[in-house]
Amino acid sequence: MASITFDRITKRYPDGTQAVSELDLAIRDGEFLVLVGPSGCGKTTALRMAAGLEEISEGRLLIGDRVVNEVHPSQRDIAMVFQSYALYPHMSVRENIAFPLQCAGLAKAEVRERVDRAADALGLTELLERRPKALSGGQRQRVAMGRAIVRQPQAFLMDEPLSNLDAKLRGQMRAEIRNLQREYRTTTLYVTHDQVEAMTMGDRIAVLRKGVLQQLGTPEELYESPANLFVAEFIGSPPMNVLSATVTRAGSGSELLLGSQRLVLPAGALDAYPELAGADATPVALGLRPEALRDAAGADPSWPRLLADVELVENLPPEKLVHLRLDAEPVVTEATLELAADVDQAAAEDLRALGRGSVLHARLPGTTPVREGTRAQFAVPPSALHFFDLSTGQAIAPQSPRLAAATA
Amino acid sequence: MFRYTKATALREVLVWAFALLTLLPFYFLVINALKPDEELLTTGSSTPPSRPTVENFTEVLTATGDSNILLGLLHSAVITVGSIAGLVAFGSLAAYVLARTTARWGSVAFYLFLVAIVLPTQLGLIPLYIGARQLGLVGSLWGMIVLYVGTLMPLAVFLYAGFFRNLPRDYEEAAALDGAGPARVFFRVVLPLMAPATGTVAILAGLIVWNDFFSALIFLGGSDNQTLPVSMYYYVGSLVSAWNKIFAIVLISMVPILAFYLFAQKRFIQGFAGGIK
Ligand SMILES: Nc1ncnc2c1ncn2[C@@H]1O[C@H](COP(=O)(O)OP(=O)(O)OP(=O)(O)O)[C@@H](O)[C@H]1O
Ligand SMILES: [Mg+2]
Repeated sequence: MASITFDRITKRYPDGTQAVSELDLAIRDGEFLVLVGPSGCGKTTALRMAAGLEEISEGRLLIGDRVVNEVHPSQRDIAMVFQSYALYPHMSVRENIAFPLQCAGLAKAEVRERVDRAADALGLTELLERRPKALSGGQRQRVAMGRAIVRQPQAFLMDEPLSNLDAKLRGQMRAEIRNLQREYRTTTLYVTHDQVEAMTMGDRIAVLRKGVLQQLGTPEELYESPANLFVAEFIGSPPMNVLSATVTRAGSGSELLLGSQRLVLPAGALDAYPELAGADATPVALGLRPEALRDAAGADPSWPRLLADVELVENLPPEKLVHLRLDAEPVVTEATLELAADVDQAAAEDLRALGRGSVLHARLPGTTPVREGTRAQFAVPPSALHFFDLSTGQAIAPQSPRLAAATA
Repeated sequence: MFRYTKATALREVLVWAFALLTLLPFYFLVINALKPDEELLTTGSSTPPSRPTVENFTEVLTATGDSNILLGLLHSAVITVGSIAGLVAFGSLAAYVLARTTARWGSVAFYLFLVAIVLPTQLGLIPLYIGARQLGLVGSLWGMIVLYVGTLMPLAVFLYAGFFRNLPRDYEEAAALDGAGPARVFFRVVLPLMAPATGTVAILAGLIVWNDFFSALIFLGGSDNQTLPVSMYYYVGSLVSAWNKIFAIVLISMVPILAFYLFAQKRFIQGFAGGIK
């Protein structure tokens, strides 16, 4: 087992495409790190450089303490699970799993024993004599895993290994892969474009956008304190609501101007943000997670209140997903457009065409009294407010980490 | 159960008619091969023999010297098998390198092979003959194998390269990460996946070599190593040709090909259908 380190790695393809830019990333020994980002952001490229399948243009790649830039894939002692699984069609399952061991020059008896053990761990014993063609998608996935674990390599690399499975199987394999990795304690770099997969599987997550690392942290860190608007909107489902707002000083405290509404923040709410507390009329991008909008009745009276039109209530027991309309301007940046376009082009057009007002998503308990077509009041806990610089999209971070504040 | 409609019945009749039509030459071949010498000149070539005989077969099979058919059969078989083996070994390796290299010389070399397919072999016959004689390749089975491997190499490379280009790189990359060196990647993973291509190359090249008369006549002329088509030529006289003997030899020479075809039929079709599943 070993760590994998990307030391200022850049990848330029022969046609000039810069797929990865100065990537600094260290996957610790035994860690499960997920590399996530929208389509075309360079995840596969980064992974393939770690595997040795793609040349590194600049920077150093280390496995353990060894620089491996010039080391052939077969000499790196890492295993990879391909999106297509790449099982050898002319070999049986047994031969497929045995192949890496034969390459390593192990004795026949030992190969047999280790293949049997791996097959047992993955529930493949019955299928050992079959050809890959005669297997289901999930079984093929397992054989690919078997081929990876049987050699007990320094590290696993996986490129969207679950994307060819249906939703139910994906959930199951997610858990299986994590369990296997915990059991073998093998350093793993896992690539996906699915943030749910990233959040549920990763010890830490690295978010990539256009080849540039946006943030590296645990799922909680990414969710609680996103480094910029891109991460904020990429992580979480439904995504964070982002509106343009203005922070002004009012008496001893502060106020938030949100469209035609004025939200009075309790005294000291912005103490952690000297940039905002001191300034007069600072425009910001205000971020609100769907669960930061609460039913006003029964909420802490010191929390600011927000009035919004209820457009749609989706019942999703035990919760309700509520669509609200507010007369505040949405924040449309290049990053938000890109994220929308990743879903589909029409969504991006919608964003542009929204015009006045913006749509918010709120996640409320199933017992909420909110009804469609009414105007309702919502309470917002001041600690749940996220602020971002309108021009750069960078988070205006509280000086004491939010995590500490939230758990305190 | 399958039921005939008017359309399917008509189609079946047509297909049968076409099949019979293609069998017509075979009919001539068989009836004339069974004809005794006396009937050869007295009856038309489309009338079946009144006294069919296997005499022709026994005669050509027991002939000695230049017209020794069995020896010709053996020589043809050795040359064909040897050429196929050489073409598969060198053609697949060369095509693999050409299909996978990103260097510019790769495409230049590939186009040179293409040019060699287009140019007629006869064009280079004289220099080829002189060169072969200087190297001591004329008149020997070895020489013929070298000659065929050389002249059919462009065809083999062209066929293989097409298949290699369609082979996803995933398999090779997976094998490399599994710890396999380039040789193991090629022989354990790539070549077995290329079985349809190998079948195509073997059949196309095999047929060309097996049926080749011209180069065998020139390069083996005067030696003891005649191939079957050349041995057959012995029965073609300037005044009279022993057509019943020749047809018997043709039938004999078809046997190995038919046997191979029946054996490899599945591969044959797969190979031309292209790609791997
Ligand atoms: N061989 C190549 N030559 C030139 N450009 C390439 C090549 N491979 C990838 N790219 C480009 O590099 C960028 C990153 O591609 P990459 O495949 O790493 O994205 P990805 O994050 O894996 O996307 P996806 O989620 O769609 O798999 C893309 O803009 C892509 O078009
Ligand atoms: Mg990819």
